[in-house]
Amino acid sequence: MPKQTKPILLYDGECGVCRSVAHWVEKSARSKSGEISLILIPNGDDPEALKLINPNLNIWDVYATNYLIMPDASMKAGGEAVAEVFRILPNTKWFAGCFAFSIFGYRPFQMMLNLGYAILDDVRPVFGCESCGTPSIWVRPFAATAKWLSSTFGPRRGTEVAPKLTSRKASPRRSSSKPDIIPK
Amino acid sequence: MQISSASSDTIKTVTETTFRQLVLEGTGPIVVEFMSYGCGFCRAIEPILQQVAEKLHSKQKFFRVNTPVETELASAYAIEGTPTFVMFLDGAEMSRAEGPQPTLASITATVTRPFETRNRS
Repeated sequence: MPKQTKPILLYDGECGVCRSVAHWVEKSARSKSGEISLILIPNGDDPEALKLINPNLNIWDVYATNYLIMPDASMKAGGEAVAEVFRILPNTKWFAGCFAFSIFGYRPFQMMLNLGYAILDDVRPVFGCESCGTPSIWVRPFAATAKWLSSTFGPRRGTEVAPKLTSRKASPRRSSSKPDIIPK
Repeated sequence: MQISSASSDTIKTVTETTFRQLVLEGTGPIVVEFMSYGCGFCRAIEPILQQVAEKLHSKQKFFRVNTPVETELASAYAIEGTPTFVMFLDGAEMSRAEGPQPTLASITATVTRPFETRNRS
């Protein structure tokens, strides 16, 4: 793998909210000259591919929160990663300095950002997240209301029967050659 | 939510090339979890499944299949959603269960009951 020269932001490509945020970050990361200050990569499905980016990356962890991998191989996660992204993006770096502001050992703006990130992480199912699983208890009424509103007033897409507790379907590819894995 | 690192992973991943040797030609009770890393329910049950696998490792083997990568396996076993547990005894499929509740009791029952029922009969 070529030497990493730009920060890499890993995001949950299965989650609609994360994809929207990633799209905004990708647009914002491009300067007027077309140079990009940040590389965005969806988490994907291959734990070994992630280890090529950084050997310390664990696929379960990167799906649990967002990760920013710096060119010096250091990693930031969650709210700390968001603050660093704000520092990197050309149109947000003007206010990003506030996240480093410290008083009596506390960073109030960073704490607010961490809280905001935690809330957004929890409410993702309300706004459409295909990979979030069961929402937190406090989010469930909102998620149920959003689902009801969507089914009542949203566009009709026909009936789909989904297996119980299933968040995504495997997408089998048809092959002419029989694999050596036929069930007995 | 942070999940334990891969170094403490007691569930090995099987691929299309290792599936026959490790599962179909394996002996005794074997549990195969067809899962996806991008699936929220798979992430919810993962730490509990690790506990169960650790507790039962002397009695039965646990493997996982990463369905988005191992599409042939998912297709061969008609996996429609994740997580799906397929229980094998001496290489033959005994039963399967989709999306158990992410509790210790539910997952333990899911992966042990089919073998206990078989022993009783």
